[in-house]
Amino acid sequence: MERISSHQFVVLSSAVLMGTTFLPIASIVTEVASRDGWMSVMPGFAVGIPYSLMVLSLLEQHPQKNLLQISEILLGKWISKITGVLYIFITCYFGGLLLGQAGDIYQSSIMPLTPIGMFYLGGILLVFYLVKSGIEVFSRFSEILFPLIIIALVLNMGLSISRMEQGELLPILSEGIKPVIWGGLKVAPFAMEYILFLAGILVFLPTGKRELAQLKRGVWRGVFLVGFLNMMVVLTQILIFGPEETVRIVYGLLVLGKMVEISRTVAGVESVFLGAWLGALIIKVGAFFFTVTWGLETVFNLKGLKWNLGVGVVFMGIAFKFTRGPDLVMEIGLVDNYLILPFASVWILTLWGISRWKGAGIS
Amino acid sequence: MKTDRRKEHKFILRLSIIACLLFLTGCWGKREVEDLAPLLGIGFDQGEKPGTFLVTEQFARPKKDSSSGAEIEDRTFSVEASSSREAFEKFSKVAYRTPFMGSLKVIIIGEDFAKSGDFNNVLDFAQRYAEFRRSMYIVLAKGKALDLLNLKLRSGLLPAMAIKSNIEGGDEISVFPTVRLGHYLTILGEKSTAPIFPVVESVKTGEGVEYKTDVKDEAGEIRIQGAGVMRGDYLADFLTDEESKGYMWLENDVVHRLINTVDLEENSIKFGGQVIESSTKYKVKANNDKMELQYKIKTSIAIDEIMGLKKQLSGPEWVELVKQAEKDFAKVIEKECNSSIKKERELGLDFLGIGRHIEQKNSKYWKTIRDQWEAEIADFPISLEVLVTIHHSGMSSSSATNSGGEGQE
Repeated sequence: MERISSHQFVVLSSAVLMGTTFLPIASIVTEVASRDGWMSVMPGFAVGIPYSLMVLSLLEQHPQKNLLQISEILLGKWISKITGVLYIFITCYFGGLLLGQAGDIYQSSIMPLTPIGMFYLGGILLVFYLVKSGIEVFSRFSEILFPLIIIALVLNMGLSISRMEQGELLPILSEGIKPVIWGGLKVAPFAMEYILFLAGILVFLPTGKRELAQLKRGVWRGVFLVGFLNMMVVLTQILIFGPEETVRIVYGLLVLGKMVEISRTVAGVESVFLGAWLGALIIKVGAFFFTVTWGLETVFNLKGLKWNLGVGVVFMGIAFKFTRGPDLVMEIGLVDNYLILPFASVWILTLWGISRWKGAGIS
Repeated sequence: MKTDRRKEHKFILRLSIIACLLFLTGCWGKREVEDLAPLLGIGFDQGEKPGTFLVTEQFARPKKDSSSGAEIEDRTFSVEASSSREAFEKFSKVAYRTPFMGSLKVIIIGEDFAKSGDFNNVLDFAQRYAEFRRSMYIVLAKGKALDLLNLKLRSGLLPAMAIKSNIEGGDEISVFPTVRLGHYLTILGEKSTAPIFPVVESVKTGEGVEYKTDVKDEAGEIRIQGAGVMRGDYLADFLTDEESKGYMWLENDVVHRLINTVDLEENSIKFGGQVIESSTKYKVKANNDKMELQYKIKTSIAIDEIMGLKKQLSGPEWVELVKQAEKDFAKVIEKECNSSIKKERELGLDFLGIGRHIEQKNSKYWKTIRDQWEAEIADFPISLEVLVTIHHSGMSSSSATNSGGEGQE
């Protein structure tokens, strides 16, 4: 059985949690909370902390078992099977949609004439190779790429400072705290996407007491790092575009990348940023590919190359179903809000509650 | 078993390499640089048929015999179309190169077209199509955009590049606003603020500037002066040079300025100087049970020129003279600001963004007046405080004067 270290877990978690959340997040929170949208980001991501800790505490009680196996122990065979099928369906569907997003982003921003299928094919081949190589290689891939993604983000934001408009953040909280809370709810699905991945990766994590403490600390650190970076992304976009424009622009950070000019000489560096962000997308799609394969293996005992190929084909099929950009963006939002958020929050809470109750009963 | 796994890995690796080759070479939809026509400027004027507009596009054509490779020649076309895409289709039929919009520097809106509306419709293409960048400049033309883009300038620059250079050098004099597409779209989102654009005009000899020209009655220079204020999609009015300067102070957009007190009638000694730095702050305060917007402008000026000084000054007199200069410069700044505020009240258009300032500082109060804001602009109390500091008076304490006799008082 493969194992990843605590450090690899922290980086991989951060990379999966981050994914490409920085592309739509500003538009999502600003639509709800207007110029206070940036305040929703940290609380929204923080929802991931208690849930991650609950999952890790389940791991502590059931070492080397993923959450589907733990479900079978706590909920019984049939309920766990139904949960497993739902888990596979949601992660597979969402993974396919994210693969579709790779095509949408590239075609609408820098390569409009390239057939969209080529983006899907290129993306899925990379993902497939990573999945085939195993979780340890996937972690190392994240360790190399995640810092580059952060650098690209920071550079994009830093080089855009000269475009900031005066006073766009003011007034603060003019509509009260309610829109900020609603904005937080819109961010929470991002954290839940990560929780679904965490549910599957448990079997590869170390379970020693010291390591578990490190994992818990790592979760805190990862959530704060990703939350903070996303908050800065939202702040930057509101300061530059103003709230109305931030809502209207589909991928604000790409527009920002196009506005970057260095000494009125160097422009057109958005392709460099997009290169790094493709890595983010690959990590996220890869994470969901992994979750589907883990689900298939746990629930139906299906594993091996042909099943992986099958998953790849399904991902491609879903991506091809949503070649219309607006449909894709809407669908991702719907799956996030109405499938991932309720499924993950109810499932984890139920398992943790039952586990505590049974534990209390035993003691 | 192991050999099978190795074969599998090799197969996947090969597939990945093929995919990378397909992607990284960028074969799909490739366009060689020499096949592109870089777009530098685009102008919009009123079309002759209803629902159409006249689009003028200025492309750069690299000079073949250029020694540096950076010299470009003019290639300007005009077509009448009912959408920007239709215009590009018509250009493509004539030009043997593919238009490349990523190099666009400036959008020029003709005066008649701006007055007729449809402004945002023509800009939609520029904000939507991925090749464009929101960092391009937007200006209004006095007259037709077509005429501006077809000028043969004495500098040898293409008009689009000349406008770009003028705008980018504008910080030195800070007398007109700089508006990029991104800024315009942000201002549109604010709703209460009326957008404003700098105005570009051609300058014939004798129109404020004298120069030698080969062709009579043809302009060889361009100038950016004043601004145009929009009411929604329409150009409502132009601001004079003085009103634009007032706007620049109140918007905290003055970086450096060349300023003089020649127009002040009350003093015989006139000063000229350069603004070294400036900052404008504002507060919304209750004054006699009514809200008031208070502007406070703090600026540092270096005196470069004194006229009318007819005697050598002692040390204390020098100090007094500098204090007088501070007061005089402050009066000039106040005059410019007041003329801008007066224009805002006359037009009933909040191009100074006063409503937005009130919203920023006192959102509760803003909510009570925002629905009737256009009516409120006319008499909303605004006060102004200008603090000028003279840092130095150049290399001399006094001016050179005659020793006395004829002509000397």
